[in-house]
Parts: sequence; C-alpha cells; structure tokens
Amino acid sequence: MKKLLAITIFTAVSIYGYSQTQEIDSLNDVVEKHEGKLNALDERVLVNEADLGKLNKIKVSGYIQAQWETYGKDLEKSNGYSNTYYIRRARVKFTYEALDGVKFVLQPDFSTGNLALKDAYAVVNIPKLKNLTLWAGQFNRPDYEVEYSSSQREVLERSRVIRAIYPGEREIGLKLEYIGVNIPLKVQLMAMNGNFTGAQAKDIDSKKDLMGRIVYSIKLPGSGVGIDLGANGYLGGNLAKTNPYIKNSDGTADSIKVWSYLDKNWAGGEIQIFADFLGGMAIKGEYMAGVNSTPSTIASTAIRTAMLADPNKYKNFAGYYIYFIKNIGSKNQFVAKYDYYDPNTKLSGDAASKDIYYKTWTLAWQHYLNDNIRISLNYEMPKNEINASYPAQLKDNTLGVRIQAKF
Amino acid sequence: MKTNKIFPIMLIMVIMATTSVFSQAKITVKGSDTMVILAQKWAELYMKSNPSASIQVTGGGSGVGITALINGTTDIANASRPMKQTEIEKLKARYNTLGVQIPCAKDGITIFLNEANKVQELSIKQLSDIYSGKIKNWKELGGNDAEIRLYGRENSSGTYVYFHDEVVKADYATNVQSLPGTAAVVNAVKKDVNGIGYGGAAYAVGVKHAKVKKDSKSTAYLPTEETIGKGEYPITRYLYMYLRNRPTGETKKYIDWILSKEGQMIVIEVGYFPYK
Repeated sequence: MKKLLAITIFTAVSIYGYSQTQEIDSLNDVVEKHEGKLNALDERVLVNEADLGKLNKIKVSGYIQAQWETYGKDLEKSNGYSNTYYIRRARVKFTYEALDGVKFVLQPDFSTGNLALKDAYAVVNIPKLKNLTLWAGQFNRPDYEVEYSSSQREVLERSRVIRAIYPGEREIGLKLEYIGVNIPLKVQLMAMNGNFTGAQAKDIDSKKDLMGRIVYSIKLPGSGVGIDLGANGYLGGNLAKTNPYIKNSDGTADSIKVWSYLDKNWAGGEIQIFADFLGGMAIKGEYMAGVNSTPSTIASTAIRTAMLADPNKYKNFAGYYIYFIKNIGSKNQFVAKYDYYDPNTKLSGDAASKDIYYKTWTLAWQHYLNDNIRISLNYEMPKNEINASYPAQLKDNTLGVRIQAKF
Repeated sequence: MKTNKIFPIMLIMVIMATTSVFSQAKITVKGSDTMVILAQKWAELYMKSNPSASIQVTGGGSGVGITALINGTTDIANASRPMKQTEIEKLKARYNTLGVQIPCAKDGITIFLNEANKVQELSIKQLSDIYSGKIKNWKELGGNDAEIRLYGRENSSGTYVYFHDEVVKADYATNVQSLPGTAAVVNAVKKDVNGIGYGGAAYAVGVKHAKVKKDSKSTAYLPTEETIGKGEYPITRYLYMYLRNRPTGETKKYIDWILSKEGQMIVIEVGYFPYK
C-alpha cells in the first residue's frame, strides 16, 4: 500500500513538474518570439529614422501672390487694358542642407507668362571661420531693398531706382559674406558677371563687376531702438561690342574702342531705424548716385550714320527711397513710401528728353489674416518731370490688391 | 500741410494707440523644454494670486518658441539660448522691432552620467571630443572598457544649439540619440551604464553629475548655485524670455513678478539659479 502511495505521489509530482517545465518552455518561446518581433521593429524604426533624417535635410518653402491691378488712363493706353488679375509671383524654394554649414538652394518662379530660375546657389561656411560664408551661383545682389524678399516687402514693387540699376535683382557670381557675432557688423563682397538684365545671360568675357556692402548695427535696448547704418558701392562695366560712339550724360558725343568697357559705377548709403513705439515702427532709406551705361545694340556692320544715331550711352543718375512703416496691433501695417529716380542728372527740362525724373508716393496697408496669408492694398502715385517729350502729368497711378499665401 | 492731410494722419495715430493698448488678453508662453517646468510653475503660482490672469504654457524647444513669436502665435518665447541674427531679422521684417530679451534665470548645462560610471570629471575639450565622436570608449577617460553611448537633444532645442556652439564646436557625432526633452535624456542615462547626456540642471534625478573643467589644468566644478553664481562652472548660460515689443498691461505685471524676489524663489525651487 505504502509503495503504491509513493509511486502515485512520485508520478503526480513528475507530471506536475513536467507540465510546469512545459509552461516555462512555452513562455520562453513566446518571449523569444516577441523579442524577435521587437528587434525587427527596432531595426525598421532605425532604418525609417535614417531615411527621415535625410528628408529633414530638405526644406521646401515658398509663396504665391495673386494680384489685381487697375491703372490710370495713360497706363491703360500703353498697356492696352484698364485692369488685370494675374499671378505676380509663384515661387517654390528648395533648400538642401547637406552638412552643417553647407547649403544648396534652388528657387524657380512660375508666375503668369513667366517660368524663370530665380535662385540657384550653394552656401558654404568657411571652415574655422564660422561667421564667413562663401556663396556661389545665382542669387540677389548685396543691397538692402534687393535682398529684402518680396514676400516681406511692405509695398508691392521695389523702388524705381533699384529696378533700373539692379534689373531682376539677381546676378551670377561669387560672394563672401561676414556676419559678426560679437561685433554687429555685416560685410558682403561680390564678384559677378555683370550682364544680368532681368533674365539669365551667359558671361562673354573674363572681366567681373564688383560690389560691396557694409552694415553696422546699433542697438539702444533701453529705448527699444535699433539703427542699421550702411554703405555700398558698385564697380563694373558694360562691353561696347559693336559701336565705337558714345553719347555722354550731358549729351555730348564721345568715342571708345570697340570691345572696351563703358563705366558702370555708383555708391550709396542706407539707414534703417526700428523703434518699439506703440507696437513697432520703422523708417528705412537708401540713396545712391553714379554712372550707368547702356551699350548700343546696333550691328557692328552698320554704317557710321546709323551708329551715331544709336550710340552707347553714359548717364549720371541719382535715386533714393524712404519708407515709413507702422505696425498697428499684430495684424496690420500702414506704409507710406516716397521714392525718387532721375536717370540723367546732367540734363533737365526739354534737354532731358525721355530721361525724365519720377517722384513716387506709395501708400499701402497690409493685413495679416494669419501666419500664412497676407492681404495688401497698395496705391502708387508717380509724378513725372514735365518737358517737351512729356508736356503733361501722366495719369499713371496704380491701385493694386494682392493676396499672398506663404508656406 | 493742409488740414485735410493732417486729419488722416491723426486718425491713424489714434487707431495705432488704441489697438496697442487694448491688444492684451490671455498670455501664451511657448518654447524651451528646459524651461517648461519652471514656466508652468511660474504660471500656476501667478494665476493663483491673480485669478483674473490666464497664462498658457507649452514647450517644444527654443526654436519652436521663437518661430511662434515671429509668427505671432505666442506672446512670450522661452529660450535657453540667445536669439540668432537671422531670427532678429525676421522679427524686424514682420514687426519692425528687434524683440525684447529678458534674462530670467541662470542654468548650468549639466553632464549626466550613470551612477555606476567610474568617471567623475570631464574637461570641455573631452566633452567636445566625446560628442563629436573622437572619443568613443570610456577607457580613454579612465572608465571601463565600454563604448560610450551618447544622448542629446533635438535640433529645435536651445540646449542642443548652446551645447553645439559653446562646447562641441563641431558637428555632432552621427550616433547621438536625439531625445525630446532633458527628462528623457536623464531617463536614458539612468538606464544605461555607459550613457552620457546633457541638459538643464533641474532635471537631474537618479543620475550622477560630472564635474566639468575649462581645460585639463583647471579645477573641475559641479553645477551649484555658488559655482554658477560666481561663473566658475564652465557651461553656465542665461535662460531668456523674448517678446516682440516692450511688455505692457498684464504681460508686464507677470514679467515683473517673475523677476521679483518671489518669482526668483521659484527658480531656485525648480533647480535653476536666479538671474542676478
């Protein structure tokens, strides 16, 4: 009997032990299985993280400006229509930050009737000189109003003088830019092809135009005022490819050797004052003067009389602009702007012929609907010089409304 | 100037003045994760004693806070680093102000080590070499023969930027694990014997602080009120609040309170150091 009991207990314990071992084994299997699954997931997360890391290096931004304009009678006559609705700008900016301090930028523009490459450049931080960058490619010329993005600008168009001397704003070249950390100084030096006229043009000679800009910032934190003071200069030339004859600024005739350079030099000064006065206010101005030239486009085979009738031209010019901007609350901005441009300061009245000066008042109101959408109302009132070619004040005021979506 | 020209100008000035005065209501605070506990505590206590005030605090990182300030979606941006020139330019373009910087506390960026780690002190150069990937094994620093595992912050963090600019001064190593917030960094180091992390002083619970020295010849210091106050601890920084304009109304009252003795007591309570 005792034997039977012992055998029964032994069998029961063995069976229980066996079933316990089996349970632990099966639990181990489950844990191992899940561990395998988790490891696989971990690997997938790591792969995805690596891929996302690469995507993080690409940034896409841009803006679209839909604009309606209505014109004064003289502008209506020259345009052939009294008002228009169009896409003023539609830009997408792709930035690829390959490494810390190495950036590539590409920005096309898809506005109405115009597909153009705006920016295409690389920016590299000079090793060990953290504040110095080298830019190569096509980008804005170093000037305040040129570099101030049209998505931020408080009036619809840049000043007349800026549009005249920096057509298309961009140039193809190399730029060194220093932005001080301890010294509030910005220095820009650019060497460029010098033949950008609003559209890309291939370089045809080894001579480069030079441009420099220096800006010093003063901060008066107690009064909430900041002043940026700067100077800039341009040293370049236009190639007289076909015509040896020149018409000087004062209208006198001159000559030059074909394939030599016509002067294109000017200097300017700028000031921007920012004040924390009842919600933010700015006064910004720039003045520039110098010599600009327009090369003749007549064929080199043309006869002397034809060449004399369409000579290369030198023009002493001057221009300036001044903005008054007042933020009203955080959503609105009032802007008054005055700009002046005289394409030939040596001649006035009838002698100036078509080189008349313009004085333009612009009044604008910006409303920021949210972070991305801005509505602008803009009224531009140019006043022209009166002479024999322009015997009356032109009716060329423009009222514009723009909706800008920025992303 | 004729009176009919003066009238619209006067009208605009009146609108400007009234909109500025009446633009204060609820205060939103966004930014630095390092400062989020401190900012929440400030808001909580201020609202207790000023029941009419409504203050909403969120984190996200210094970069996120400053972007929100520029976009107009926050009134105060908390930042554990100074604003960058590019950010100031954006503020100028949108609001025509330079922004207002208010230092509100001091912090010593703390180097977190696991409590089992034998290493006690590190120089700035060694930290730079560790985080740029030049030093890979604890053995090179007098520790165990084990690979160093690096924990850090995401690039929207002011601490990430400050540590990069003032300590690493080179590209971060590719194997730094980016974590969302100092608390996550502390937690990772707590669990990892071979881990190292950095972050705000207020979060260091359950991990060891490494002493830090300027160079191999200098004395190493722990981040304490005394060493940070005296400027002895080499990775000391200010914590800032940024505004678009000089504060007025309820915002001014709130900031004045933060800078008062009472507000600065909370700085110490949370684990940071008074701004002066």
